[in-house]
Amino acid sequence: MSLFLYLLIFLPIGACVAILSGAPARLTALVVSAVNVAICALLVLAFDSAHNLTIFQFEGAIELLSEPQLALSVGLDGMSLILVILATLVTLCAVWCTPVSIPGNQRLFHICTLLISTGAIGAFISTDLFFFYAFHELALIPTFLMIAYWGYGHERRAIAWKTTIYLALGGIILLAGLLALYANIPTQEATFNIEALTKDASQIPAGTQKWIALTLLVGFGILVSLFPFHSWAAPAYSAAPTPVAMLHAGVLKKFGLYGLLRVAMPMLPEGFNTPLGFFFGDLTVMNLMLILLLGNILFIGLVTISQDYLDKMLGFSSVMHMGYAFLGIACYNAVGWTGAVMMMFAHGISIALLFALCGNLRQRKLPSLDLDSLGGLGKSAPTFALLFGFAAFASIGLPGFANFASELLIFLGAFQGADGEFGMLQIVTILALWGVVISAVYMLRAYRKTFQGDTGETESIPDLSASERWPIIILIAALLAIGFFPGLFVDIIKPAFTAFHGAK
Amino acid sequence: MPLPFIILFLPLIAALVILLGTRRSGQTSAMVSVGSVLITLACAIAMLFGAGEAASLTWMTIGDLTLDIGIEIDSKTRSMMFIVTFIGALVHIFSLQYMKDDDAKARFFGGLSLFMFSMTGIVLADNFAMMFIFWELVGVSSYLLIGHWYQKNSAADAAKKAFLMNRIGDFGFMIGILILFGLTGSLSFSDINNGLEIAEGASESKQAGLLTLATLCIFCGAIGKSAQFPLHTWLPDAMEGPTPVSALIHAATMVAAGVYMLVKVSFLLYAAPLAAEVISYIGCITALIAALIATQQDDIKKVLAYSTLSQLGYMVMAVGFVGMGEFDKQGPDSNIFDPANAAYFHLYTHAFFKALLFLGSGAVIYACHHQQNIWKMGGLKQKMPITTGTFAIGTAALLGIPYITSGFFSKDSVLAATYSKPHVFIPALCTVFLTAFYMTRLFVVAFLGKAKSDDAEHAKEVPPIMFLPLVLLAVFSIAAGWSFVSKLFGFDSHHIPHPHGLLIPVLASLMGFAGIGIGFLIYRGKEKDPIRIPLLANKFGFDELYAGIVRIFQDTVAYVAKALDQILIDGLLVRGLGAITAGTGSLLRRLQVGNLQGYAFLFGLGVIAIIYFLIISV
Amino acid sequence: MVSLNEYLLVSGLLFAIGFAGVLLRRNIIVIFMCLEIMLSAANLSLVAFSRFNLSEAGVPNYNGQVLVFFIITVAAAEVALGLAIIVALFRARRTVHVEDLDSMKN
Repeated sequence: MSLFLYLLIFLPIGACVAILSGAPARLTALVVSAVNVAICALLVLAFDSAHNLTIFQFEGAIELLSEPQLALSVGLDGMSLILVILATLVTLCAVWCTPVSIPGNQRLFHICTLLISTGAIGAFISTDLFFFYAFHELALIPTFLMIAYWGYGHERRAIAWKTTIYLALGGIILLAGLLALYANIPTQEATFNIEALTKDASQIPAGTQKWIALTLLVGFGILVSLFPFHSWAAPAYSAAPTPVAMLHAGVLKKFGLYGLLRVAMPMLPEGFNTPLGFFFGDLTVMNLMLILLLGNILFIGLVTISQDYLDKMLGFSSVMHMGYAFLGIACYNAVGWTGAVMMMFAHGISIALLFALCGNLRQRKLPSLDLDSLGGLGKSAPTFALLFGFAAFASIGLPGFANFASELLIFLGAFQGADGEFGMLQIVTILALWGVVISAVYMLRAYRKTFQGDTGETESIPDLSASERWPIIILIAALLAIGFFPGLFVDIIKPAFTAFHGAK
Repeated sequence: MPLPFIILFLPLIAALVILLGTRRSGQTSAMVSVGSVLITLACAIAMLFGAGEAASLTWMTIGDLTLDIGIEIDSKTRSMMFIVTFIGALVHIFSLQYMKDDDAKARFFGGLSLFMFSMTGIVLADNFAMMFIFWELVGVSSYLLIGHWYQKNSAADAAKKAFLMNRIGDFGFMIGILILFGLTGSLSFSDINNGLEIAEGASESKQAGLLTLATLCIFCGAIGKSAQFPLHTWLPDAMEGPTPVSALIHAATMVAAGVYMLVKVSFLLYAAPLAAEVISYIGCITALIAALIATQQDDIKKVLAYSTLSQLGYMVMAVGFVGMGEFDKQGPDSNIFDPANAAYFHLYTHAFFKALLFLGSGAVIYACHHQQNIWKMGGLKQKMPITTGTFAIGTAALLGIPYITSGFFSKDSVLAATYSKPHVFIPALCTVFLTAFYMTRLFVVAFLGKAKSDDAEHAKEVPPIMFLPLVLLAVFSIAAGWSFVSKLFGFDSHHIPHPHGLLIPVLASLMGFAGIGIGFLIYRGKEKDPIRIPLLANKFGFDELYAGIVRIFQDTVAYVAKALDQILIDGLLVRGLGAITAGTGSLLRRLQVGNLQGYAFLFGLGVIAIIYFLIISV
Repeated sequence: MVSLNEYLLVSGLLFAIGFAGVLLRRNIIVIFMCLEIMLSAANLSLVAFSRFNLSEAGVPNYNGQVLVFFIITVAAAEVALGLAIIVALFRARRTVHVEDLDSMKN
C-alpha cells in the first residue's frame, strides 16, 4: 500500500518529465491530478480508522543514508489523510481552472503547478523530518516563478521577490528550530524519523523546550501568515495566477499548522506551557499564540473590511481565518485539534473556491476588481451568482458547510474542561467570536457590491461555462458533504488525538 | 423513520430537488414546494393528536463530546409545529397566485422550502448546538427571501442588513451557549436544566454571575432574531421582500423563533433573575417604541411590521417575568399559569392574526397594482368585501376585542404577567391604546371612505386561491381563543388565573376602545394625515444612528487598522528589514575597492591578524 | 661570526621591501618582481635555518634546503602563469598601470 503513497509524489514528477518531452501540458496535468484523486479515494477506503494509536498506516521507506538514518519514508495517519484529500482535490480543481490558452510558456506553467502540488503532498505524507521540510521548500520556487511570470498587476515582480524572500526567511527560522530540536533530542541512534524522534523528545529539559517552541511557532507562523508575519499573503494572492492562489492559500499554508500538530506539539509537550521569562514575563508560548491569533482575527478582519479590491479582500480574509485554526490548536485537547484539522480542510477548500471564482471574474476582462466599479452581475450571470453565494456563505461559516462544523468544534473545544474556571483561552475565544460578524460583513458586502443591486461599469458578463462550472461544483459539493456529515472526517481524525490527549 | 424526521427533512429534499432539478421551471418548483409543505402539514396534524416521539441522530462524537440532531417533543413543540406548517401551507398557496408572474419563481419556492426545513429544526431542537445550526439557517433563508428581487438596491441592502443584525445576535447567542457548555459540560436542554438544579444549591457568586452573563448572551440571540431593541431596525426594512414572505417569516414564524427559544430555555431565568429583569425591560421598550413609530407610518406593510415588533415586545416582556416569585416553576406541559406560557400563548394567537393581516395586505397590494401607501387606497370595503371582512377580524384580534377574539385572552395573560411591576405594566397598557389607535388609523384610511387614487378605484376582489387562506386564518383568529381549541394546543385559555379579578381585562378593553374611538374621530374621511410627528415618522432616527455608528466604529477603525498595517507592520517591520539589509549591503560594498593594491593591503592585514591570534594570544 | 639573527634580519628586510613594493608600485610588472623578492626572502630564511640549526652529528637539517627547491619551482610556474595573465590584461586594457584596473570597484 505504501506504493500508492509514493505514486502520489512520483506521478506528478513523472508528468513533469512527460510534459518536458512534449506531452500536451494541460491534459497531462489534468490526467495526473485526477489519478491522484483516485489514489486518494483508494487510500480513504483502505484507511482503518479503528486504529487507536498514533501509528502511521501504509508505511514505507526508501533508505538513502544509513548514518545518520535518512530515508524517504512515508506514512498516513488521520490528520495527514485529510490533508492529502485536500491537496489532491485542490490540485485537480486548480489545474482545471487554468485557462486553456496561457500567454508564455504553457509547459513551464503546468510543470510549476505540478511541482507545487508534489511539494505539498510530499510534506504531508513524509514521516521523515528532513523530507518533511524539504518537500515544502520544493514548492517555494515554482510559486516564485509563477507569480513573477504569469501574475497580475504591475508590481508582480516585486511581490514575487518579497513573498519568496519572506517565506524563505520563515523557512530558515523553521530550519533553525528543527535543527535545535534535533540537536537536543537525546537519541540512541541518529535518525530523522518523526515517530522515533517523538518518543525521545519529551526528555528535553523544559527550559530548552520553550525556546525551541518559540522558534518553531515563529517559523511555522510565518508560513501560515500568523499576525504579525502576514504581510506577504494578501499581495501575493492578489498578484498570483489563479491556480497558484488556490494551491498556496488552500494547501501550502496548511503546512505550518500541520507542522505544529505533527512536530512541535507532540515533541515539546512542556515547551508550550512553560513561562518564557525575559521580557515576556509570565507568558507562555501558548499565551503568545492566543494573543497573536486575536491579531489575525480582529485586526486583520478589520483590515479586510477596509479593502476596496476583491482579490486583496480575499487574500486578507484567508489570513483572518487562520486565526481560528490557531485557536483550535491552542485548545490543546482532542476536540480542539480535530476542529483545527477540519478547519484546515474546510478553509482550504473554501478559499480555493473563492479564488477560483475570482479568477473566473478576471477572465471576463472586467476593467478592475474594484468593488465600487462592479455591480449587478447577478442579472447576466445567475449561475455565477448562485455559486459565488454558496462560496461566500461557506466561508462565513454557515451551518451545512464544513467550515461551520470545524468552527463549532473549535469553540466547543475551547470551553470543554473549563469546569467553570474561565481563563485566557476562554476569553480569547469569546473575543474571537466577533470574527463571525466581521467575516459576514466583508463577505456579504463584497457579494452585494459585485452581484446584486444596480449594474456598475460592466453591464453584463458571460455566465460560467460548463468547464468552468465543474471544478467549482466539486469544491462546493465537498464542503456540503463534510458539512452535513462531518462524522466521516471526525472519525478518521480523532483516534490520533484522543490517544495523545487521553480521550478527554 | 420517525415522524418528526419526515417533517424535518422533507422540505430540505424539496429544496434540493428544486436546486438540482427543476430550477428552470417555476411552476414545477412551486408544485414541489407546495406538495412538501402539505405533506408536512398532514404530519403536523398527526403530531397534534399525539403521534411522534423524541429521537436523535448522531452528528459527531469526539471522546465525551457528542453533537446530535436531537428531537424533543412537548405540547409546545406540537402546537408550534402546527402553526409553522399550517401558516406555511397557507402562504405557499397564496404565493402561487401572488408570485404567478415573477421571473424567479423557482428560487422563491426553493427559499421557502429551505425556510420550512430550518424553522422545523428550531421547533424540534433538543440541544443548543442543533438550535444554533437551524437558527443560522433560518437567517440565510430570510436573506434569500428578503433579497428575492436583488436587482433592486433597497432589497439587496435590506437582506444584507437583516443577515448582519442576525449575525450580531448569533455572536451573543454563541457566547451564551459556550458559557453554559463550560459550566455544565453539556449542550442539551434537559442536561443543562438538571445541571443547574444541582448548581443552584451550591452556587457561588462567580457561578451565578457567569450564569446571568450566559442568559443575557443567549437573550442576544433572541434580540437579533425577534428584532428587539436595539437590533430592531432590520425588520421594517425586511418588508422589501415579497408580502407572503413577510407574512410567513417576519410575522408568524421566524421572528417568533426568538420567543420560542426563550420559552424553551426559560428554566435559565430562574437562576438568573437579573437577566430576567433586563429581558422584561427590553421587551417593554420595544413594544412602546414600535407602537409609537407605527402611528406615523404610511406604508401598509411598515405599519404591520412595527406592529409585529410591538407584539414581539409583549411576548419578550412576559418571558422576563419568569421566576418573579409569584409563579412557581412548572413543567412545559403544565396548565398552571407561568409567564412563559403567557408569552407562548400570545405567540400562538399572534401568529394567526398577524399572518392574516399580512396576507390581507398582500391581497390589497395585489389588487391595487402594487400600491403600498395607505393614503393612496381607500374605499376598498365595497370593492373587496372578503378581504376587508377578514382584515377587520384580524385587526379585532390584534386589538383584543373582549371575549370574541383569541387576541383578547392572550393579551390579557401577558398583561396579567406584567402586573407585578407597575413601571412595566403601565407602558404595556399605553401600548394597548397605541395599538388600537394605529390599527384603526390603518383600517379607516385604507378600507373605509372613498378611493384616493386610480389604483384603488380599479381594485377588485382577489381570486379564491388568495382569499381562502385569509378566511381560514380569520377562523383561527377567533377560534384559537376558544377553550377546546386551545386545549388541543396544550393550554386552556379559560384557565388563566386572574390574580386581580376583572381589573386587567377591563383596563385593557377601556384602553382599546379609547384607541379605536379616537382613531375613528381623527382619521374618518381624511385625505392626508392631520398629525405629523417627524420624530416618529423617522423611526426615532435609529437608522441614521446605526449608520453613523457603523461608519465610526467599523469603517474608521478598519481604515485605521489598514493604515497601521501598511505603515507599521508592512512598512516598518517588513520593508524596514529589507531597507536595513540593503543599507548594510551598500556599506559593505565599500570594501570592494576595485584596486589590486588595496586588496593586497587587506590581505596583508589579515595575515598579520592571524599570526597575532595564533602565536601571541593562543 | 655572522649568526642566524643577521640572516633572518636580512630576510625580513628583503620581505618588507618586497611587500612595500607590492603595495606601493604602480607598474604591474614591478609588482610582480616585488612578489619574487618576497619569495626570495622566504628562501633565504629557510636556508639560514637549515644551515644553522645543526643536529647532534653536526649535519645540517636538509629539509629546509629541499623546501627551497620546491619554492623555486612553484615560483617559476607562478611567474609563467602570472605573466600570461598580464599579457592578456594588456591586450584587453592596453595599460600596465594597476590604478587603471578598477572595473570591479563596488
